[in-house]
Amino acid sequence: MQTNSPVEIADRVSRKRAKGVALAAIAFVAIQAIIRPFFAADSGSTHQTTVDWWAVNAVVLLALLATGGGLLNTRNIRALVNDEVSHTHYRTAVVAGYWVAMTTAMGIYFVPRLEGVTARNAVYLIVTSSVVVALLVFSYLELRAHRDA
Amino acid sequence: MNTLRDARTLRGLTQADLATMVGVSRKTINTVENGIFVPSTVLSLRLARALDTSVEALFQLPESE
Repeated sequence: MQTNSPVEIADRVSRKRAKGVALAAIAFVAIQAIIRPFFAADSGSTHQTTVDWWAVNAVVLLALLATGGGLLNTRNIRALVNDEVSHTHYRTAVVAGYWVAMTTAMGIYFVPRLEGVTARNAVYLIVTSSVVVALLVFSYLELRAHRDA
Repeated sequence: MNTLRDARTLRGLTQADLATMVGVSRKTINTVENGIFVPSTVLSLRLARALDTSVEALFQLPESE
């Protein structure tokens, strides 16, 4: 039977968030793989709206990572969900995302095949890869923290 | 290295009980007990106070250090 103490509620919210973040990241990548808004837009086969939706999705995912989500929960529950461990996981995830962004940027710069990539496509590749990796790392660390709890 | 799990179970507390006493989530207690997470000084002091012991009794450096 589920109890309703703040710690138990925070536990459930945190587990749901960890799984939700991973699902959101996977869905984001899957949609990009299917639609490929930027590269397709260059060839004129995709509407600008699709590109704009990519940007909206990316901002929402970044906001989710930055705030920890759960804005509808009480301040007490949010404080428990985003406690010391989660802040550490957030920092680790952001660092991982940063290095992926740097690696992707360097790849775009150095790989001859990507020489002709436009600035918008470069931004798309860097943001998509770094946001997804940051979210997946955060999700993994959170789920690991819940293991055996 | 830490003896948090032993100290907690010795007092008949669950992870949720200790988490409530200290004001953190259960995953924090779990990660500290499993050695995955090294808590801050403030949290270490709170844990020690909640378990009526000292920080040194809860946390030790490995022999090699």
